[in-house]
Amino acid sequence: MIKFFRNIILFFLVSLIVGEIVVRVTHAVSDIPQRRIDKDGIQKYYPNQTGYWLKGTHTWQINELGWPGELPNSYDNLVTIIGDSFIENFMNPSECHQAVLLKQRLNNYNFLEAARSGVSFIEAFEISKRLDSLKPVKNLIYVTNSDFIESIKDIKPLEDITQVDLKAQKVVYGKMKSPGVKKLLYNWKLAYYFYNRFPINFNFWKPKKPKVVAPKKEDTSFKYGLEIQSLLSYVNENYSINDKILVFHPNSNKAIIELCKQQGFQVIHLNSSKDEKSWTFDYDHHWTCYGHEQAANQVKQGLLNTNLK
Amino acid sequence: MLFNSIEFFVFLPIVFILYWFVTAKYLKAQNLLIAVSSYVFYGWWDWRFLSLIAFSSIVDYSIGLLLSKSESKKKRKLLLWISICVNLGFLGFFKYYNFFVQSLVDSFTLLGQPLEISTLKIILPVGISFYTFQTLSYTIDVYNKKLTPTKDFVAFTAFVSFFPQLVAGPIERATNLLPQFYTQRKFNYKLAVNGMRQVLWGLFKKVVIADNCAKYANIIFNNYEDYSGSTLLLGAFFFAFQIYGDFSGYSDIAIGVSRLFGFNLKRNFAFPYFSRDIAEFWRRWHISLSTWFRDYLYIPLGGSRGGTSMKIKNTFIIFLVSGFWHGANWTFIVWGALNAIYFLPLMLTNKNRINTDMVAMHSVLPSVKELSQMAITFFLTLIAWVFFRADSVTHAFLFLKGIFNVSLFSNFQIFPTTIMYLILFFIGIEWMGRRGEYAIDKIDALNKPLRWGFYILIIVLMFSFTGEQQEFIYFQF
Repeated sequence: MIKFFRNIILFFLVSLIVGEIVVRVTHAVSDIPQRRIDKDGIQKYYPNQTGYWLKGTHTWQINELGWPGELPNSYDNLVTIIGDSFIENFMNPSECHQAVLLKQRLNNYNFLEAARSGVSFIEAFEISKRLDSLKPVKNLIYVTNSDFIESIKDIKPLEDITQVDLKAQKVVYGKMKSPGVKKLLYNWKLAYYFYNRFPINFNFWKPKKPKVVAPKKEDTSFKYGLEIQSLLSYVNENYSINDKILVFHPNSNKAIIELCKQQGFQVIHLNSSKDEKSWTFDYDHHWTCYGHEQAANQVKQGLLNTNLK
Repeated sequence: MLFNSIEFFVFLPIVFILYWFVTAKYLKAQNLLIAVSSYVFYGWWDWRFLSLIAFSSIVDYSIGLLLSKSESKKKRKLLLWISICVNLGFLGFFKYYNFFVQSLVDSFTLLGQPLEISTLKIILPVGISFYTFQTLSYTIDVYNKKLTPTKDFVAFTAFVSFFPQLVAGPIERATNLLPQFYTQRKFNYKLAVNGMRQVLWGLFKKVVIADNCAKYANIIFNNYEDYSGSTLLLGAFFFAFQIYGDFSGYSDIAIGVSRLFGFNLKRNFAFPYFSRDIAEFWRRWHISLSTWFRDYLYIPLGGSRGGTSMKIKNTFIIFLVSGFWHGANWTFIVWGALNAIYFLPLMLTNKNRINTDMVAMHSVLPSVKELSQMAITFFLTLIAWVFFRADSVTHAFLFLKGIFNVSLFSNFQIFPTTIMYLILFFIGIEWMGRRGEYAIDKIDALNKPLRWGFYILIIVLMFSFTGEQQEFIYFQF
């Protein structure tokens, strides 16, 4: 019996080592950059990291400022691009990033991306504030409905996301969620592979409920119209909005866009409805290279329609 | 609980540790643990149906004891019939009630006399066909005085509900399995390692071969109007490997898990796709069911001892019943009839037992003749599988019509290269290991690094190419 267990354990350990090598060599999981919280309370990446995306199709890089993508050659005529995972865009090669695509379309300007998955509307303004030292001529903030809701602590407190406490009228900075577990998972590639491939259902012992067709998810964005209005007022009072342009995701709620316009925000609303080809991946809601190109075309037009001429 | 589920990977080590560390010294405790674990295993799916197994166990246990006390032929026969009626009654109600009602309604409608009998919403208890046949074998063997009835109810309950083979076999004979519950099991390193190895191979067959083939077989069978003959033939090919990987994979896991607990179950598959004729195929496919029907139906009916007409009649009966055992649908009956048609010429010309050993037993590769025989046999089974997989007989005929036309020679519309490589790898390993009880049975002849390297390769393939989790096909039978 002891021999049996000894061999089982030994085999298990050898399998773990071989599995780790296989996962690393084949890039069976994407490399994930390590994050930190800087002195201003902003979650960003450790500078100068590089890694492979799934199956090694392309690499990503974190620049010396701690943001994904390449830095512009010059900060003259700078336009910053701030957003969440759509702008972070690890799933596409560098030539499909908004900064590169917009530079191709508006050569007189330089573009700098500052993005991280999970960035809320308020955090985007916080990031923008930290980039003011670079004296950008414009700041593009890519947003969607959830970014507004997630910004408001009064609706739903989220520890890992930077939010505004509207009652206290103050920004509450997000904390890193399970940093130890994340560090372990991102470095132990085999474990991360299993975590992604075979998600554990912690309710497996509960009887399965019969499948029912879920009713169409309610668009809760406008349900919180008053809170969103208060959020916009807070931003209006505490941040400069004249140099900001909100770039709304195609599926954004029109009521929110109207509220933003009423508060004096400049807005570009992306539209993919006339496009026969999908902007997104089949297996993921993020934009493909094609989607990014179309978005860049519309943003360029939007910028030209504003005072960026 | 599925063998390829997280639940089972938690359940199995717990039972294993309790079995060998807590109950190892006490036979009764070992058996009780197996019985309780088996009820948990089955109840995980639907605890309400545990009452069926419990009732079957009580009835057959009692009848066994009564048979041992009675010498009256009449009374013994009556007791046997009670057991048959109770067991087949449950099976008939849960599995065949709706089929018979619907067939009756259809027949009367055809005659212009529509009947108004509605079918019932009946849930088919998982594995009912398997444990029913297992308990029946006990009563019949006791009746025939081939087996002394047990007085140990716990051992009998553990025998009926033994979790590794409870829901999809192999259908164990009481004469083989029950006596194993009478002696205390001692941990046997070689047996346990062999069991682990067989579990690994069974899992590979299920999660890599069967589940991946299932995806394409389902697409092609469900949309057969859209595909060329060549693609439809490929669909049947995928189904052939799906059902083989699925069912023989389950059997391998069942046998392997049993070995971990010190039990030896009977072999259920012996490389059926390497058969050179249909008779050989049926000696290698679902052996526990084929031999059950042979011993408890075919031989009592007179077997092949009578004249030609009796041989034909008995062959048809056994194949039709075998088909019907698989499911309450005309497709299974046609599948059985087709196999009977394949089999009859061999039997009538006394050629049904010419291929009794393994093909190319003493050579690495088969001869051209053997290869062509295997190809023809495989093709015949492929055609029969179309009926097995189709939703209805009409669906099967339309599918076959789709295969046999000029488009059979056109390019495949679907050709998943990776899956084809995996199937080739699988066939290669099965071929190399065909002299063993299962494909990687003899791998212990290799040195440890090579052996472990192979196991790890299988594990890597399993994790890299795991198909979407599917229930084992034979659960529904």
